Parts: sequence; C-alpha cells; structure tokens
Amino acid sequence: MTALRWSYMDHWRADSPRGPVTQYTARRHMDDFVKQISAVGFEGLDMFDFQVFALTGMFGSVANYQDYLRDHGIDKIVNLFRGIMYDPRLADPHVRGTHDEIVESTRRMLGMWQALEIENLIVMPASLYTAAAPVTDDKIKAAAECWSRVGEMTLTEFGVRTTAHHEFFCAIRTESDIRKFYDWSDPRYVSFFCDTAQHCIAGLDPVALFLDLHERCSGFHFKDTRQVDTTEAYRHSPDAELMAPQTDRWFHEMGTEGGLVDFPRLMRAIRDTGYTGWITVEHDKANIGGDYAEATALSMWYARNVLSEICA
Amino acid sequence: MTVRLGYAINQWKPNFDDFTRPEQHRRALKVIAACGFTGVELRAGTGRWDPLGRPSSIAATYGSTTAFLGLVREIGVQVCSYYVDPGEPVDEELSRGRSILDPGQHAAIVESLRPFTEFLAEAGAGRLVVRALPGHGALTDGRLGDAADGWNAVGAMAAESGVRVSLHVDCLSAAADEKVLAELLDGTDPELVGLTVDTAELTVAGLDPVRVLSGHLDRVDHLHLKDTRYVDEAGERLAPHAEASMLAEGGAREIDRWFYECGTRGGLVDFPAVAAQLRDWSGWAVFESEQTPNPARSAMLNGWYARRLFDPNR
Repeated sequence: MTALRWSYMDHWRADSPRGPVTQYTARRHMDDFVKQISAVGFEGLDMFDFQVFALTGMFGSVANYQDYLRDHGIDKIVNLFRGIMYDPRLADPHVRGTHDEIVESTRRMLGMWQALEIENLIVMPASLYTAAAPVTDDKIKAAAECWSRVGEMTLTEFGVRTTAHHEFFCAIRTESDIRKFYDWSDPRYVSFFCDTAQHCIAGLDPVALFLDLHERCSGFHFKDTRQVDTTEAYRHSPDAELMAPQTDRWFHEMGTEGGLVDFPRLMRAIRDTGYTGWITVEHDKANIGGDYAEATALSMWYARNVLSEICA
Repeated sequence: MTVRLGYAINQWKPNFDDFTRPEQHRRALKVIAACGFTGVELRAGTGRWDPLGRPSSIAATYGSTTAFLGLVREIGVQVCSYYVDPGEPVDEELSRGRSILDPGQHAAIVESLRPFTEFLAEAGAGRLVVRALPGHGALTDGRLGDAADGWNAVGAMAAESGVRVSLHVDCLSAAADEKVLAELLDGTDPELVGLTVDTAELTVAGLDPVRVLSGHLDRVDHLHLKDTRYVDEAGERLAPHAEASMLAEGGAREIDRWFYECGTRGGLVDFPAVAAQLRDWSGWAVFESEQTPNPARSAMLNGWYARRLFDPNR
C-alpha cells in the first residue's frame, strides 16, 4: 500500500478537567493528540485553515508546528479545509459580485500557510442549499467560475490545488448538479474531493461518483454513515448537520456496524483507476454519542485489516 | 531482546456491569490491535456480567473457547496472559475468596485456577498472573512460607498445561516490600513460579521498579507497564480498607488517578532504565491504563510510547 498514505482530518476533542477541549487549547493536549494519531499509523494531518492562528500562538509559526509534527511521526500537513461562512453580502460562490473577495481572502489565508507544502485547499463549492435555493444552472456556473478563479490563483501562486467537497446540505449536492459543476469549472484548477458519507447521505453512490470523476479527484474523506437523508434534512434551516430532526449524528467511523459506504468497493475502484496519494480519514462530530480516540483507532484497524489487502 | 507488546483489557471495564457485550469486546480488541499491540491480557471476574472473566463465561458468551480465540486472532491479537486474584469472590464456586496464606485453601485455589491454565494452554499463552499476596496486615510470621508452598502447588498444576505462574505485586499487597518479596521468591521454585514486575504499582508503594527488576531479573517472566505521578509517602496503602480509602478515593490528597500512561508528564517511572534492563530479556510487556477516563486514548498514548521504548530502529 505504498502508493497510498493515510491522513487525519482534525475535528478532535480531548477530555480535560475543564470538560471537552480541542488540542489547540494547551500544548499538553496537542502532545497527546499527535502521539495518538501517530500511534495508529497516520502520516498526514488535515485541518481547518483558521487553525493557523492557534498554531502560531502555540508554536510561533506553522512551520515550527510542522517540524514538531515530524518529530512525532507525522510527515506533513496535507490538506486545509477552508473555514468560511458564506454570505451573499460578502462572499458567496453563486454571487458573482463577491468573487473578488473570495479570491482575496483565500490569497490572504494561504499566504499564512506559505511555508508549508499544502496539497489541497478543500472548499464547499456553494453555500447552504437553503441559502442558495432555488439552485439554477446560472448559480452553478457562477460557482464554477468562482472556484476556477480561486483555483488558478492557489495553484499558480501557492502550488495548492483547490478541490470541492460537496456536503449533503450544500447547494451543489445532486448527481446532475455536481456533474454540471465539473463540466463548467476549469479542470486545470478545480478538483473533486470525495467525501464518502456526505454523498451517501445525499442519496448518491460515492463509488460511482468517484469512478465518474476520478480524473478530477484529488482526495477523500473516508467516513461512514448509517443514514440516507430521507426527510429532506438538507433543507433544514438554519442548519442540517447538527440540527435536523432526522438524527443527531450523521457520521460514524468507517467499518461501523450498519455503515452504508462500501469501502472495499471504493478501495478497489481507487486501485483500478490508479489513484495514488493521500486518503484522509475523518470523524466529523464523533463526540455525539461516541469518542474521537476510539473512532480513530477503529478506523485505522479497518484500514489496515480490511482495506490494505485490496491495495496490497 | 524480544519484548512482545500486550495490553490489559480490564481497563475497558470500570464497573461490574460495564463492558458486557461482545461488540464492545470487539471494539476494544480492534483498538488494541490498531495501536500496535499483539497480545491481550484478560482479567478474572465472576458472574453473568463479566463474560471475559473466566473460561466458562467466555464459552457461554462466544460458544466455545475456540470460537473466542478465533475472533481474537481475526482481529489481529492473541491472548497472552490471564490475571487472577484468588482472594476475590467467585460466585460460580460459591467462594467468598481464598487466601494463599492458608494451607487449608491451597487445594481449592489450585482447582479454581486449573480452568485458567487450560484456557491459556489452548490460547498458546504461557502466563497465569496471580496476586502474590493479600493486603498488608494479613501477613504474620511463618505464613510467607505457606504462601510459597501454595504458589508452588499452583505452579506444578499450571506446568501440566505448559503454563507458568507469575506473581504480581500491587501497591496494596503485602508483597510490596523488598524483603517480603525476596523471601517469597526464595521460597518458590524458579522452574514453576516467576515474577511480574508492575512498574507503577511498585513505585506507588515506594519501591524502585528498576531495582526490583534488576534484582530479580532471573525470575521476571512478565511485565505490567504503567506510570504514576505519585508515591504513597504517607503509607496510606497500609491502612485497613486501603483499596477504598487510598486507591479509589485517592487518600488524604484526594488523588483522582494513581495510574497513567507510560511516559506521562511528571511520570515517576524511569522507562528507559527499565528497557535497558530488558536488553536480553524475552517475554510479554503488558501495558495498562487502570483508572483511565478513556481507554482508547490511553491505549493510543501507550502505543506511541511503546514503539519508541522498544523499537531499536528509532
């Protein structure tokens, strides 16, 4: 499995005498976090772009943090997730008048990470479904234009690919709309990031989607779900991910009992299409009735004992 | 050095009615495997809510010993040892606990432990880890020799299955005393009875685990590795009901947690010195994280540390 490496997308919480905290609150929590993900075999780390502020405060710079990661067995920060709240008055991909701001704010943010060799900037390609509805071809075209511009900038100025991650509650969420988005965006500058659970919840087959878009695919979030959205939760306002009535927990670690994602089939597709590089494991909101540490260890048990044989 | 890395599964069972379902066992075993450990130590228990507590309970839950061991192997680990304290009650045997200090109870202890050795033999595991002596205060003149005789009898029974008995010293035990421990070992047959060094238990009791290890290296055949930030300097472990007042409640200092992952901040155990003693030693080093608020977290931290402690390539 040498052509594939495992990275960890950080949503971590640690127990502390002050209750649940993130590892960005104290160096001792950071030490424990990094040791834990390293212990189970991760070599890369993904995180939200805004963590640059916490890391700079804790380590002096993100470059220092990457050195620290290497000392603990984590080779690099692989991907950044753009933590931006869209607002049609300021920054919203389907509002063309805000594209300059999206490009500039992204440039500012990536500039803070310039010392590192980030591979992908992951973005939600459109705002919440409820904020963009009705979704029209023109809105999808506007989003495609937006990310083509951003992607050209990130690649040429920072060597970072811009890649789109379609949350189930995102405006570009159906198979046909996703297809249109990639048809209308520049393949040189906009990649596809396959989040297995998000597509599954949206009623799509993530394996079929990957096979369709594999030439554009620049990474994965491997996580599982036990539920398809059967209640139009994606329309739930103000939030579908944490507040929709259907469930209080959409996401589970891969290999979970009752999981809907067919990871072995996806792994075979990855092997057969010749994808190489990083696969990111994500446990989004595992603290809801679960535990980040356990979910992380269980995921890597699954990766090593079930999936690695497929790509051996 | 062939130190094999194991993990104690009892950390997942903080109370008698926790950790009862097979899917919980599978998750714990997968966590242990994912963290790089290849062995698992079971802990004896009693009653219907302790399905891993004794071979008969395992068979009742999983169908048979063979089925359980197959599941463990499929997950990527193997049973390496079983811990038993003969002083604990056994509902299945209508026993309120037995004392190795009482020669009249030796035969019952031998028979009580026999199923564990047979289970270990089927698992291909070689260590029955036992509590060496009951708590402080129980030991009176002459009884140490009786205890040694008792362990020799258990050792002889275990040897029939190719299993060695290994004496474990916890901080509350009367054996947590260098002189007592040396005499107990002197009284037992080195061919049948070994010693488990538990780094944190000895440290809490005021002993130096490196010194104990080096002093009895020829008898050490099993390890329990965990860390601590505290020594019981006030001798609270010697008081009656110390398990409740000192170990559980934390004593006068109200210590929330006596035991920590190896390499914890402020840890008192000198693990590099322990590893140095083990240069020519072979056996299972079972990592523990009793009193942890999060077993998976502790297993991961111990896994990280274990690799650095015992991997010569690092």
